[in-house]
Amino acid sequence: MDEVVFLSSLLAAGIRLAAPIALAAIGETLSERAGVINVGIEGIMLVGAFVAVLFAVYTGSPWVGLLAAIVAGVAMSGVHAYFVVRLKTEQIVSGIALLFLGLGLSGYGYRLTLGEAGAAVKIPGFRELDILGLADVPVIGPILFGQHALVYLAVASAIAMAYMFRATRLGVIIKAVGETPVAADSAGINVDRVRFLCVLVAGGFAGAGGAFLSTAHLWGFVENMTAGRGFLAIACVVFARWNPVAAVLVALVFGIADAAQIRLQTIFPAVPYQFFVIAPYVVAIVSLAVGSRSSRMPAALGIPFAKPR
Amino acid sequence: MTGTELRKPALVAVAFLVAMVVIAILLAGANPADIVYGIVERALFTRAGLLEALMRTIPLTIMGLGIAIAFKARIFNIGMDGQLIAGSVVAVVAAPLLPANVAGIVLFLGLGFLGGAVWGGIAGGIKARFGGNEIIATIMLNYVAVQMLSWLVRGPLQEKMRIIPRTDAIDQALRLPVLFDGTRIHAGLIVAVLAVVVVALVVMRGRFGYRLAVVGSNDHAAQYAGISPSRMAATVLVISGALAGLAGAVEVAGLYGRLQEGFAPGFGIAAIAVALVARLNPLLVPVSAFGFSLLYSGLGALARNGVVPFPLINIMEGAIILIFLAASIALRRGPGGMRGASANG
Repeated sequence: MDEVVFLSSLLAAGIRLAAPIALAAIGETLSERAGVINVGIEGIMLVGAFVAVLFAVYTGSPWVGLLAAIVAGVAMSGVHAYFVVRLKTEQIVSGIALLFLGLGLSGYGYRLTLGEAGAAVKIPGFRELDILGLADVPVIGPILFGQHALVYLAVASAIAMAYMFRATRLGVIIKAVGETPVAADSAGINVDRVRFLCVLVAGGFAGAGGAFLSTAHLWGFVENMTAGRGFLAIACVVFARWNPVAAVLVALVFGIADAAQIRLQTIFPAVPYQFFVIAPYVVAIVSLAVGSRSSRMPAALGIPFAKPR
Repeated sequence: MTGTELRKPALVAVAFLVAMVVIAILLAGANPADIVYGIVERALFTRAGLLEALMRTIPLTIMGLGIAIAFKARIFNIGMDGQLIAGSVVAVVAAPLLPANVAGIVLFLGLGFLGGAVWGGIAGGIKARFGGNEIIATIMLNYVAVQMLSWLVRGPLQEKMRIIPRTDAIDQALRLPVLFDGTRIHAGLIVAVLAVVVVALVVMRGRFGYRLAVVGSNDHAAQYAGISPSRMAATVLVISGALAGLAGAVEVAGLYGRLQEGFAPGFGIAAIAVALVARLNPLLVPVSAFGFSLLYSGLGALARNGVVPFPLINIMEGAIILIFLAASIALRRGPGGMRGASANG
């Protein structure tokens, strides 16, 4: 029974740790399906994390914080969209610049506002839900019914997005824009507009991921607190073959690896803790080697669209 | 789509970014003009500021060259921080075995080069063998390297006194000599100059440079020219990793004399900005590196005095990269460029 309880708490914690990565990965899937890669997700998440804490503290509501983080994420990705869609610049370079901006804006903003006090401020954060009062049911309760609201929203939006790609006109349009933009253009689709909107929505998801990290998971903001989760999200998209539901599952693997390393540290105090901290990163490196060969990549990913004359 | 049609939106972007930086400074309660004056004054007109900038130029130049080579082949190495650590670790671990003379110094730097090459080579292998994205691989390897360094300086490599998490100092004979009395400018400057010359010759004259250009333009062209893009990717990651490792060994032998955590914070990221602003031209890399070093030196002083928080530097780096991107579009001459210009005027 002890093992079962351990496994249950590991899985529940794994889901918590996976949620920010999953949210960012769902958004990135949408953006990449439309042909735009954004390697600046990490920067957007950082800004989301900071803005969520700031607004949660000032208004007392984590929901306002979440909303503000989504708006900030959309604004940040708007810069990326303007450069890569409107100005047709190199997508990777613009993404890298976004990473710098996010690092700077979040760290700068924090030091000017909450960080100025020096002492830690109390963050009104999200609490776990208790759906139908079932969160205390042993083993499956904490996993299925005791998660944060955002976790359920993430899963729901991944499923909705998968349905959109599979069965709706909108999904067809987005896929066309990412696969054969020239054909989409001649069919009367405004390629640039579709891409712009997809990048904006992706930014909102990344902002929400950052908000989860700072208001639901760690309850506070620390400079550079995303610790590579934005890049893990991009890795998820690749391993998941650009499928949003699969991306959530891959994120779960990273989350469980992270939850496991924290537990293993206490079980094996003789082993230097750094060996456990690297676990999620090593998992990502290994899965890069194992899972990368893929023919499912959107054909026009990373290529600016120029209207044929 | 001609360049001129994008001139106006590009200029709008530049204006937006400049406004963002100005607003950020105003929000801190500082005067943007004072900040600019303060940076220029401290960095260019004080001896300490100028020397600090010159010192930082050394590693940023070496690493900027590595980024320039990689990006030319459209290989995006974001992992120079990890490669720098790997190189310094290998050099410091082997330091006690090295002869205490000039050959020892050369070997020390060579080992740094090697260590960085190995760390970059891991990402290179994943890219070449499995097609794994090098951006993700190099970033993940950064985190691994940081944790490994943290373990080493607290564990097996910790100084004999076991007080501070750092290694013992390397033999004095392995230190890079100071070039100018009364300063800390060390012989790493010569290494950086040599690196610029070698990389410039290789990239601009050699067959390798041609291959870089072909692979960078597109994969199909490369295949047509009989160049394997995946082998090229691995080679490029090894070379740029090696340069990062060399920069680490130079920092250790020139400045610190030992390993400690966070001894080259954010250099790998800064090197990206350096190389991009230099437009991947090896001869412009030192100029760009010096420019960013002045920015660091000047803004660092203002941040220490509490005028503005230090992360402003990252905001400015991001803005500078984007401004360069936008400016290159605004200045581009497409077909019909003159006509467009006169129509606008």
